[in-house]
Amino acid sequence: MKKRKTVFPAAVIAGIMLTGLAQAGGVRSPSMLANTCAGCHGTNGASAGDYMPIIGGMEKEYLYTSLSEYKSGERDSTIMGRIAKGYSDQELKAIASYIARQPWVSSPLQADSKLAAMGKAIHEEKCKTCHEEGGRLQEDETPRLAGQWPDYTLVFLEDCRAKGERCEPRKMGKRVMELSDEELKAMAHYYLSEK
Amino acid sequence: MAAMKRRDFVKAAGAAAVLGSLGGVSSLTLAQSKKRVVVVGGGYGGAIAAKYIRMADPTIDVRLIDQNSRFVSCPLSNEVLGGERDIASLTFGYSDLSANHGVRFVNNEILEINPEKNYVLGNGNLKYFYDKLVVSPGISFDFDQVTGYDEAATKVMPHAWKAGPQTLLLRKQLEAMPDGGVFYIVAPPNPFRCPPGPYERAAQVAHYFKNHKPKSKIIILDAKDKFSKQGLFTQGWKMHYGDMIQWVSGAEGGIIDEVDPASMTLIGQVDEFKGDVVNFIPAQKAGKLAHVGGLTDESGWCPVDQKTFESSIHKDIHVIGDASIAGKMPKSGYAANSQGKVCAAAVVAALNGKPAPEPSYVNTCYSIIAPDHGISVAAVYQLKDGTIQGVEGAGGLSPMDASERTRALEVEYALGWFKNIAADMFT
Ligand SMILES: Cc1cc2nc3c(=O)[nH]c(=O)nc-3n(C[C@H](O)[C@H](O)[C@H](O)COP(=O)(O)OP(=O)(O)OC[C@H]3O[C@@H](n4cnc5c(N)ncnc54)[C@H](O)[C@@H]3O)c2cc1C
Repeated sequence: MKKRKTVFPAAVIAGIMLTGLAQAGGVRSPSMLANTCAGCHGTNGASAGDYMPIIGGMEKEYLYTSLSEYKSGERDSTIMGRIAKGYSDQELKAIASYIARQPWVSSPLQADSKLAAMGKAIHEEKCKTCHEEGGRLQEDETPRLAGQWPDYTLVFLEDCRAKGERCEPRKMGKRVMELSDEELKAMAHYYLSEK
Repeated sequence: MAAMKRRDFVKAAGAAAVLGSLGGVSSLTLAQSKKRVVVVGGGYGGAIAAKYIRMADPTIDVRLIDQNSRFVSCPLSNEVLGGERDIASLTFGYSDLSANHGVRFVNNEILEINPEKNYVLGNGNLKYFYDKLVVSPGISFDFDQVTGYDEAATKVMPHAWKAGPQTLLLRKQLEAMPDGGVFYIVAPPNPFRCPPGPYERAAQVAHYFKNHKPKSKIIILDAKDKFSKQGLFTQGWKMHYGDMIQWVSGAEGGIIDEVDPASMTLIGQVDEFKGDVVNFIPAQKAGKLAHVGGLTDESGWCPVDQKTFESSIHKDIHVIGDASIAGKMPKSGYAANSQGKVCAAAVVAALNGKPAPEPSYVNTCYSIIAPDHGISVAAVYQLKDGTIQGVEGAGGLSPMDASERTRALEVEYALGWFKNIAADMFT
């Protein structure tokens, strides 16, 4: 989170400039492209739940990588692959940067405190070297987890567990592979509780 | 909320810029020179257009006018017929839209549009003046195509194609139907609102019958020879409901020319059908206001510049949603949402003396076949040669051989879609 504060005003100015540029040619502006996402991910990516992830305020690099991997099929999806194929790489970049500039709005759900405590212990042991500050810190390829809708986190973890060592990054796949259903649920609630 | 802070910041920056450039102009003059947008129809298209105009330029005065003070969503209303949800969960008010975005909501029915003097006229002889008018009135029914189906017949053979009392009436009839009864769905000709809707409806009602009236039958009499997501629906129907659902194409005698509500009879080109419950979905055209306002062509729908949704007939009037002719986009809630945003950007640009931005549009439609089986269709669109066209290589249907997990997840995504699109409209 610490990065965001300093970046904020500059990002807004950049947004205004980009929009201005786009209107000159046949280029579609970042807001024009990104606003179509809101039908499923909520206004400015602040998802209203439950299985739809909050994307507003996520790191640009992570968003861009995810969209590119949906497009190439590297990342599994039900529908995102079909949608991401509709955009050029430059457009995916524009979408990612627009959504990254929006404020992160955590899920208003209350975490289950027992599950959250169980999840915290697993986090301390296996996850915190990359997902620092209780999943609040995000950097390039590491997404924010704190405050995310738990149903989404759980589906992501289940998919990762099913892939095992093929889950990227591999060291995460290896660790998630060992977790039970209840433990995955506990992780989802722990990160929710860290909003 | 953090979301407000960002907007306030942009708002303040925008206001400061305006003040800066105008120097000493008083706030009174500023208020009078405010640009006025009137949006008629607070549904999937109109609510979005109103909100996104305010988000992009909070100096514009936006009035959103609807004949109802609360909106009832058609999406997920088939679940009300299946008994999985109540209609309150599909009902929304406009107070958050006003509080969060400064959209002024007016509860009135618009009776006339005056494109020369730039106003719309409502009940009570009230006039609402505009610099730009956005119209998103949805659909109306073409009662001329089938003898005997009129406003009175809708009380006996409900269409339930506008959610609300019609949905509840059809649900009541299904509840009252004896086990072993026959339920007919008469599916309309193209183009119509929600192409997968009648077929999702058949599945939802089958889900109810399976648990409560397993000897009953559902017969779809279709004006068409094929329908949306046909392979996926046919597969899903069979998988969950055996042969409870039967589909009769137009060529096989599905076209209905006449109805007799008194005897619950449907008179087709080949046979007559007598149902215990009949859901008659009539042929459709643009909402009544579009016709009264002279915005339609001979097709019964509204031709528009597909870049801005400005009417090809009247300047400064934009038509979005089901009522508009929007290239390859289907008449869906998601399409109306996407069009509302493109239109909002065009309106804001025009009111600020700028050219219309290059548009981008998306559609996604989920259908719930069973509580653990969802399917979807998606498309990404662009403007090409003046019309909205799908981007090649993108979009398409859920795969026929999807895993059980994928099918179950698509139900969760359908429900999540609804939560989010409703929040996009009403918060
Ligand atoms: C059973 C069913 C299921 C559906 N499921 C889906 C789905 O899963 N996904 C999807 O994307 N779409 C779905 N749809 C389609 C979706 O409902 C429509 O495409 C969408 O509502 C179109 O938006 P609109 O703004 O054009 O019209 P509407 O949303 O109908 O809004 C029109 C508004 O205008 C108001 N109005 C009309 N005339 C006047 C007047 N003269 N004065 C004042 N107010 C007026 C009406 O009261 C209404 O509030 C479904 C439709 C049906 C029938």
